[in-house]
Amino acid sequence: MSFEIMSIYSSLIQNQAVAEIEKCNDFTAQFGLALSYLDAIELVETRSIALKSNGRIEFGGGVIDKIIMQFCDSPYISMHNYAETIHELTEMFYYYKNETLDLISDDELIKFMKNSFDGKCQGSLELLSGRELANMARNLRYGYAPDYSEDLTCDMEDEDDEY
Amino acid sequence: MTNIEKRHNINTNNLSGEAYFTSILQESYVCGLLNDSDIENIQLQCIKFLAYKSERYNSGDSSSIRIETAESIMKSNLYTIGLYLKSMPDADCAVSELKTAIIQEMYQKGRKLINTKLNTTKHMYKLAERNKLITLNYTYNATLNDNGIGTFFKSYNPDYEAHESPASIDYQLCIPVTDLAGIEFIQKYLENLFLENEFCKNFAAEDIHHLLCGYDAGYSDLLINIFELLYTSAIGCLLANRSAVKLDISVGEIKHLHNELSKDDDYSLALKIRKASEKLLEDLSVSSLSLRRYIEKCLPKITSNIIYGVRSSNLSKTFISPSNSDLKSKIEFLPGMKMDDEDYRKLIKELLICRYSSDKLELIKEKIKSFGDLEDVLFDAHLCEDEFTSIFDILGDVEIAALVKRHPFKTDIQVVDLSEAEQSLRLYLKSYIDQLTADRQKQIFEIVNRLIDD
Repeated sequence: MSFEIMSIYSSLIQNQAVAEIEKCNDFTAQFGLALSYLDAIELVETRSIALKSNGRIEFGGGVIDKIIMQFCDSPYISMHNYAETIHELTEMFYYYKNETLDLISDDELIKFMKNSFDGKCQGSLELLSGRELANMARNLRYGYAPDYSEDLTCDMEDEDDEY
Repeated sequence: MTNIEKRHNINTNNLSGEAYFTSILQESYVCGLLNDSDIENIQLQCIKFLAYKSERYNSGDSSSIRIETAESIMKSNLYTIGLYLKSMPDADCAVSELKTAIIQEMYQKGRKLINTKLNTTKHMYKLAERNKLITLNYTYNATLNDNGIGTFFKSYNPDYEAHESPASIDYQLCIPVTDLAGIEFIQKYLENLFLENEFCKNFAAEDIHHLLCGYDAGYSDLLINIFELLYTSAIGCLLANRSAVKLDISVGEIKHLHNELSKDDDYSLALKIRKASEKLLEDLSVSSLSLRRYIEKCLPKITSNIIYGVRSSNLSKTFISPSNSDLKSKIEFLPGMKMDDEDYRKLIKELLICRYSSDKLELIKEKIKSFGDLEDVLFDAHLCEDEFTSIFDILGDVEIAALVKRHPFKTDIQVVDLSEAEQSLRLYLKSYIDQLTADRQKQIFEIVNRLIDD
């Protein structure tokens, strides 16, 4: 009689997640974006793998629909890179949930990802993951604000020195 | 047939006290009281309830949770449900409850039980604190303290970590608490500790101190159970026809007792010990039923210890003869009046410009009249090892012993925080003592032990 959580991971939850992703198509259609049923299944699989590799567990439909709704109006996403970007963002999301020691909520993390992706990173997923999110996670772990920057304080100190 | 007992389907011996819920599920599945669909239904409900609790744990901020955290919450949920099921009249009732009741409802009932137990345990802690023994034993004092068991009441999280017992408990009871977890473990531990205290309170704190000194002079640092030593010794006193209350049994009497007891076989020995234990309870007028039951539970362990002591001719280690260390004569060392600061500065100046060691020694002999000044000179005069040795040579055993007492050399690691002068004094003193004869070393350390602390 096993009560190991991962082993009882219900397929019901997977189906619920696929349905939620497909439902997003109604909203993303206005931006010319849509995911097929197969895409949705693959995204849910990516989520399962990301959860497993990061030692996490999720009970509800998950955050993929939240990521889609937040990122669908990005100027750097079009139909040709849509599914691929959402895959990468999903993996990134769970990785940085751990790296931030759960100090940031889902909504805040997704919002930060979106602002950085559209802003400083100009659509680069490498910059988003390797620089912006890594800095933000380090800031949170050291007790700073998520957008705290050492360069900024250095610049300010330099300016002070000039006077 | 004298007793009519209800026949139980579940073998309660197979149930675990720590993981009651899972063990009762397993047992009832094996007995056929629950079928596959029942088990599946319970598992599904547990997962659903875990999802609900995880969401509450995250305060709705996060949809995912670390597996370790989820597992801990699951364990906590199952523990709480198990606690409720344990409160049922018997295991069969618990199984029928499992078949019909909803997991969430059982959890809520268990959670209420935890609250009640928490209040009872807090009360028990206060009682145990109130009848705390006056002893030098470190682990005892550190455990029955706000920083020991007391931390439990600040750190216990009954909602998400009900199965944990976050407290620092180093003091071992005569019968260790096993097969219990969380609040149940702490409650049982405190109950037993209270009973042990109640028994030990029948003896004077001074007598307990002397008895434990007889066990080991450094008993304050040992991981011992005071109750066990006291109870055993009290039985020993009664077997030797001495008063148990004073715990006063001599080494000779223990020897005589050994000769007497070694004639008996194990069965008659056990009988004698049981009789002595009964007489002990009578002599101490122990009327509390719970204490009598606890002592009854401890008796087999004590009996086997005594029998082992008799058979291995080592009874003096089982029955302890008290040792009154306070009776040994003490030496009070007075360091004397220090010289005037101005004169001291002059002396140090002279010593520093002195070229020959013999001149330095002569100066010290002539000018230093007190132990305090000598100590200061050893620190300030920048002397070399040979000069230290020459000074130590002119000192008597008592002065050397006083130096050892005030500047003990422990280990290289322990001296790193000290000043350089202090480090060299300790090092030179140790090497000086090491080269002395064994007899003189023994004499000096005897004086060190008899010196009264400053």
